[in-house]
Amino acid sequence: MVTILQLALNGLALGAAYALVALGFVLVLNATGAVNFAQGDLVMAGGYAAAALAAALPLPGLALLPIVIGTMALLGLAVSALAYFPLMRRPATAVFVSTIAIGLVLQNAALGLFGPEPRTAPPVWDSEPLRWGALALSPQALAVIAIATVLVLGQAWLLARTRLGRNLRATAQDREMAAALGIPVNAMIALSFALAAALAGAAGALLANQFFVTPTAGGALILKAYIAVVIGGWGSLAGAAVGALLVGLFETVVAAAVSYTAASALLYAALLLILLLRPQGLFGEAAGRRA
Amino acid sequence: MTVADTRASARHGLGDDALWTVLLLAALAAYAGTRASPYDLRVLALAGCQALLVLGYQFIFGHAGALSLAQGAFFGLGAYVTAILGARYHWGFAATFPLSILAPLALAAVVAVPLLRLASHYFALATLGLAQVALLLVVNAGDWTGGALGLTGVPGIVILGEAVPRGLPLAAAVWGIVALGAWLSWRVTHGITGTAYAVLRTDPLAAAATGLAQTRLRFSAFLLSAAYAGAAGALQAHTVGVVSSETLEFSVMVTCLAMTVIGGSTRIAGALLGALLLTYLPEWLRFLEGHALLAYGAALLAMIILAPEGIAGVLGRAFAGRRRAPDLPEPVPAPPQESRSATLEARSLSKRFGGVLALDRVDLVIEPGEILGLIGPNGSGKTTLANVISGLVPADDGVMRLGSTGLRGLSAEKIALAGIARGFQTPALPPSLSVLELVALARASAAGKIGFLSSLLGRDAGKGRRRFEAEALDLLGRVGISSEADRPCGTLPAALAWRVELARALALDPGIIILDEPAAGLGEREQAELGAALREIAGHGIALLVIEHNMPFLLPTAHRIVVLDQGRVIAKGRPAEVVRDPSVIAAYLGRESLPA
Repeated sequence: MVTILQLALNGLALGAAYALVALGFVLVLNATGAVNFAQGDLVMAGGYAAAALAAALPLPGLALLPIVIGTMALLGLAVSALAYFPLMRRPATAVFVSTIAIGLVLQNAALGLFGPEPRTAPPVWDSEPLRWGALALSPQALAVIAIATVLVLGQAWLLARTRLGRNLRATAQDREMAAALGIPVNAMIALSFALAAALAGAAGALLANQFFVTPTAGGALILKAYIAVVIGGWGSLAGAAVGALLVGLFETVVAAAVSYTAASALLYAALLLILLLRPQGLFGEAAGRRA
Repeated sequence: MTVADTRASARHGLGDDALWTVLLLAALAAYAGTRASPYDLRVLALAGCQALLVLGYQFIFGHAGALSLAQGAFFGLGAYVTAILGARYHWGFAATFPLSILAPLALAAVVAVPLLRLASHYFALATLGLAQVALLLVVNAGDWTGGALGLTGVPGIVILGEAVPRGLPLAAAVWGIVALGAWLSWRVTHGITGTAYAVLRTDPLAAAATGLAQTRLRFSAFLLSAAYAGAAGALQAHTVGVVSSETLEFSVMVTCLAMTVIGGSTRIAGALLGALLLTYLPEWLRFLEGHALLAYGAALLAMIILAPEGIAGVLGRAFAGRRRAPDLPEPVPAPPQESRSATLEARSLSKRFGGVLALDRVDLVIEPGEILGLIGPNGSGKTTLANVISGLVPADDGVMRLGSTGLRGLSAEKIALAGIARGFQTPALPPSLSVLELVALARASAAGKIGFLSSLLGRDAGKGRRRFEAEALDLLGRVGISSEADRPCGTLPAALAWRVELARALALDPGIIILDEPAAGLGEREQAELGAALREIAGHGIALLVIEHNMPFLLPTAHRIVVLDQGRVIAKGRPAEVVRDPSVIAAYLGRESLPA
């Protein structure tokens, strides 16, 4: 029972970090109609940013997080300028290719800068495990869940309650109509990339403590975030967050019970099955063949 | 991509492509035979394996326009089949090579059925998932695959009972197979089928309106890409002698993607150039050592932004621009088809979009040779009705028949070939194709001469292509636009675009043609010409369903008129009667005045 609770906590923490990645995915997809294939590598970059900042600045993990998020938002703007805006009038495949290229550059830049050895970032909450009878809860896992919750809710608040959020949603729904209404559409798209990269960076900084970070860590992440989004359905941010929690829980439990490989293989198989049977997502609206 | 560029590529650039390819292969042969060291020859053989991989990838990524991320997995599968059968069971090349091609082909065929239904990123990520599963399987099935360490001792190539030694013979054998692959690729893509792929990837609506079997074309492209990848993997296994899980890693896939984009994604010379360049770049630039992928990534980004047609495309454009377009053939009337004239009957068609009932139990009958006008206020469901009849939007309920053929549930291209041709409010003409190419494509499509087998037999090229072009020219004459045959569709003004849409529709030997506001943007004289053309077509027994707001044009042209309002038929009859119908006047007055 105790093991199950601890596994569940770890699974939720992992899922919470995935949720940040998945939300970024949905933001960019809705704003541009194109998938950002570099999203996983942006997570990796966030992990390295946290690790490098920790080595340079004598600050606690929690204080480093805003710096990582800000840096990553700038990187997101750079990604949009390089990989999206020059190609916005071309087929979506061109943006897939350009973001794959960005991912390749990020991976190999990280390899050149930091080498192939795994790095670790400082914990956001460094203390002894919280004991509650036989139950020992990892403070880092709790902190990850808390921070991810704050960021996800902040994102939801931004989109639902602010003028900026309304402009972002209008741009995602109908770009031409939004432009006709005087919304600065390109700025909104750039902002979507910045937000997506910031969320990915936060996820990277949070994951890099427990799971380490390597230059190629992004590849598996993009699939897992995509699986979360596919489970949740493309239209919905809440669906993506729920999907991410499910993926994290599933992965943690199966990895503990069988093996990490089995967990990944089953997840990928599940992705294929969902795409075949319900491409609109398990809970989602009927998005069908939308690009 | 400029209009001039693709026009050149489509009409005579591929002849240039064959020339470039032959020149390139000859230069490689001269280099290999004279100056290359044993090490150089090994690198050359490896470049050949990559060239074959890229040639295959061009089918699905370049021609079909779908981002598959499974090409690396097919490559790895081919390599492992060769390694397991050759190194473990000592099977010979004559058995392992065909099996290394068949295994990925079979896998592709199995996964294609569900995967190819997926569009855009769904397809990309599903193929990525497939590749990840393959990698996990290979790493974890260590008893068979040697796990992460891989398999050593892959035997060499044996051709006609003779072992092919390393060095020049091996490089020659690999490049011989590359040349064979290049020939097959040229065969499949240089005819009208190649044009069909260009329309398929750039303009799905135009592809449907031209009757192209999109799923079948994608399917054969995916299978071809898998088969080439398997052959490339097998050859690499023979060349290196070792196969490990590295062959399945994502870096193989992105290197292939970079080679394809940088070389040029639809030209054969591009596949060879891309593979050679990216294989030799780290050899030439030693400082790139360990950072080759960083350079590939940067180059990939630069090329997709600055020169998406690739190096071969840039070269092709630079030289093809100076060549004269080939002379047009003499027009030849299309052979008289068995009469397609049949009555179109729609009963109780309904279509709902969310909470809006766009079509509410619509009944419609169109007799052969009849011009039926379809009018109604904006948003009354006219275009939805046209889309439902032409299969672009599935009906929720009701019956549709053309003669005795049931139409419900057929794809748009099948309906187009069954005899219901379509023109669009915004003409669906692929901008880079010339008028003649488009209409010849429709002729070939109607004749069923597009696809892998037809192109392999050469029925869509050479004499076959000339025949379709001659028939297309005859049709262009019928709609009065032969003088514009070589003009790219993207440069046509509205006054000419309707003629091209009409010519394409006629090219499909239709029983019925549906036109959506053909008179929009036309001057009075052009409207009169359009009316005369429609009457001439109807005179041959072809029915016309014309959606129109322009009453001065429609009333004298149409035999009968049907009025839609809020998805329902509210009146039908002779034009003069319909415009006096009180319910029609009320429907228009409710929103706008009757446009008369």
